[in-house]
Amino acid sequence: MTVSLWTLARGQAGVIDGYDDALDEAYRIRLMELGFHPGEQVSCLQAPALGAPRVYRVANTTFSLDDDVARHLRVRVVTDE
Amino acid sequence: MSSASPSRSGDSVTEKGATKAADKVLLIGSPNCGKTLLFNRLTGLQHRVANFPGITVEIASGSLVGHPGVTLYDYPGTYSLQAISGEEQVAVEQFQSALADPELGLVLCLIDVTRLEKSLYFALQVVRECKRAGKPLLVLANMIDILEQHRIPMDLDGLAADLGAPVLGISARNGAGLEVMDTRVREVLGAQPPAPGDSGDPDLLLRGTAHQLAHKYGPKGDVLLRTQNRLDAFFLHTAFGGVAFFLVMYLLFQSIFTWAAPAMDAVEGALGWLSDLVVPVLGPKLLQDFAADALFSGIGAFLVFVPQIFVLTFVIGLLEDSGYMARAALICHRPLRFFGLTGKSFIPMLSGVACAIPGIYAARAVESPRKRFLTYLAIPLMPCSARLPVYTLLIAAFIPSTTAFGGLVGLQGLAMFLVYLFGMICGLLVTAFVSRAGSLEESDLPFVLEMPAYRLPALRPLLRKSWQRCKLFITKAGAIIVTVTMVIWFLGYFPNFGADLGASWLGQLGAFIEPVFAPLGLDWRYGVAIISSFLAREVFVGTLGVMFGIEGAEENMVPLVEQIQGSDLGLASGIALLVFFAVALMCVSTLAVLSREAGSARLAVRMFAIYVAMAYLLSLLAYQIALFFGA
Repeated sequence: MTVSLWTLARGQAGVIDGYDDALDEAYRIRLMELGFHPGEQVSCLQAPALGAPRVYRVANTTFSLDDDVARHLRVRVVTDE
Repeated sequence: MSSASPSRSGDSVTEKGATKAADKVLLIGSPNCGKTLLFNRLTGLQHRVANFPGITVEIASGSLVGHPGVTLYDYPGTYSLQAISGEEQVAVEQFQSALADPELGLVLCLIDVTRLEKSLYFALQVVRECKRAGKPLLVLANMIDILEQHRIPMDLDGLAADLGAPVLGISARNGAGLEVMDTRVREVLGAQPPAPGDSGDPDLLLRGTAHQLAHKYGPKGDVLLRTQNRLDAFFLHTAFGGVAFFLVMYLLFQSIFTWAAPAMDAVEGALGWLSDLVVPVLGPKLLQDFAADALFSGIGAFLVFVPQIFVLTFVIGLLEDSGYMARAALICHRPLRFFGLTGKSFIPMLSGVACAIPGIYAARAVESPRKRFLTYLAIPLMPCSARLPVYTLLIAAFIPSTTAFGGLVGLQGLAMFLVYLFGMICGLLVTAFVSRAGSLEESDLPFVLEMPAYRLPALRPLLRKSWQRCKLFITKAGAIIVTVTMVIWFLGYFPNFGADLGASWLGQLGAFIEPVFAPLGLDWRYGVAIISSFLAREVFVGTLGVMFGIEGAEENMVPLVEQIQGSDLGLASGIALLVFFAVALMCVSTLAVLSREAGSARLAVRMFAIYVAMAYLLSLLAYQIALFFGA
C-alpha cells in the first residue's frame, strides 16, 4: 500500500513508488533530477511543528519539501528508523 | 547582455587576421557545490559582477590567477539545463551562448562529491553540451577533503570513464588538488580543441545514468549527514529552534538598526563637514544654496543608506553561507505561504522594517520570481525607520499622553504599535490579494529547498560581496535619487530664490492640490510637506516646520507639536495622516532601487501610483470613521 510522502513521520522511511498526475510535469522532472526517483529510498529526517515543510533525505542529500509538493509523491513505507 | 559575459560579440579572428587564442574559462556547477568559494580562490577575490536587470542571475568574471590574459567566468548554478523558471531559462541560455563563443577555451564543471546524486545529472548534461559544441571540459570533484577526513574512498578514474570526461579531485576550501588543476588548465588551453561531436543522450536517459552513477560511486552510509542532522534537530526543534530563530532575527534587526547607525551618522557628519567647508567659498548665493540644499542633500540622501546595505548584505551572507538561511526559510514558510509569499520573504520584509532599500536588495534571496515580486510589493508597506519621525510628530500632536493599567499601557505607545501593525497587515493583505486575484506573469518555483551542510563562512569574500552591492547601489540608484532631489529643490527655490517656500513653485503646487487634501481636513501646508516628503518621509517634519515658521523641527519637535495642537486641525485629520504615511510609497530612494532590482521602471511607477491612491482612500475612510465617532 502506498501513502503520500507527507504522511511519513519523523524517522520513517519509504520507497518512492511514483508521482500523482496533479503535480506539474516540470516539477516532477526537477524532483527526479534531484534524486527523487521511483525505487529510491527516502526518509523523513525532521518534521517541524505547525505544518512547516519537512526535511527528507534522498541518497546523501537533504531537501525540505512543502506539503504542496510532498503530498504528490507516493511512497511505500519500509521501516521505522 | 552584460559586458562581463563571455558570449559577447567577440570573434576568434583579430583585425589583422591572426587567430586569437581561446582565453576564456567558464566555471559552472549546481547550487551549493562550493562554486563561489572556488571562484574566489581562483581569481584571488579580484573580480567584478554583471547583473541582469530584474533577475538575480549574476555572472562574475575575473583574471584566472597564474594564467595571464585568461578570464574566468562564474556562471549561475542550476540543478539542470532543463529550466523550470524564467530565471533558470536566462541562466541556461547564457551557458548555451557561451559555448558558441570561439574564445571559450575550457569549461570547468564543479560537482559535490559528498552529494553526487544532485550534481551528476547536471554534470552529464554539461558533458553532453560540451561535446556537441567541441569545447574541452574538466570535471572538478569538490569537497574531496571531506571524504578523506572520513576515510571514504572514491574511484575518480572510474567516474571519469563513465562520465566520458576527465575528473580531478579538489577542495575549494583548503586548495587541495588545485595545483594539478592548474597544470591541466594550462595544457588544455594550449592544445587544439576537440571537434564538435554528436547530439548525445537525451535528458531522460541522462537522469537514469546519473542515478546509477550516484549509486555506484557515491559515499555510502550516513556519516556525512550525522552532524547536520544533530544541528537540524536543534535548529528545527519546536521550542529550541523557535528561540534560536528569534535570536538570529533579533541580531539581524539589531545589525541594520543599531550597528549601522554609527557609520550612517559618520556619513552624514562627513557630508555636513564637507558642505560647511565647500559651500561658503562658492560665491553667489544661488550657487551656495544649490550646493548645500540640492547637491549635498541629494548625495547625502543615498550615501546614508550605504552602511545599512553593507551590514545587511554581510549578515545575510553569513546566514546563507553558514547554512542557516535555508532553515530560517523553512520555519517561516507556512504562515507566509497563506499570503502568497515564501519563507525566504521573511528576511527582506524584516529588513524593510528598518529600511525598504536593504530589504529590496535582500529579496534577491527569494528564488521564485513570482514570490520575489510579491515580496517587493510587501516591503514598502513595512513600517520603516523613516516613518518614525512622522509618526512621533503626529502621535505627540494628536494622541494624549495618558496611561492605563497602572501606567503599563500608554495611549501614545499603543498608537505607535497600532500604526506599525497596520502597515505590516496592509503589506500581507496586498500580497494575499495580488497572489489570488491576478494572473501574474512571473514564473513560480515549488518549495523544494536543498538543506546545505552547516559551514563556517569565509569572511573576506563576504566583505567583498557587501562592498560590491554598495557600489551597485551608489552607481545605479544614486543618479536617480540626486536627480529627483534637484528637481524638488528647483521647485522649492524658484521663482523667489528660496525667500519663501510658500510662494515657491512647490508652494504653488501645494496650493493647487489643496482641494485634494481638503477632504482629509488638511490645508495646503500639509500638501507641500507631503509632496516634499517624496525625497524621504522624514522630510515631512522639517518642511512642516518651515511652513509653520519653526526652524530645526527635525531636532526638536516640541514647538511644532504645540503649533499643530494650537491650529484647528482635529484628531480625525491626524489619524488620516498616520494612515496615509503608513501606506504611501513616498520615497524616491526606494523607487530607484526597486526600479533597478525589479528591472522595471514601470513597476516602480505603478507601485508608487497605486500605493499613494490606496493611502489616500484609506486615510479618507479613516477620517470619515473618526468623524463618525466624534473625533
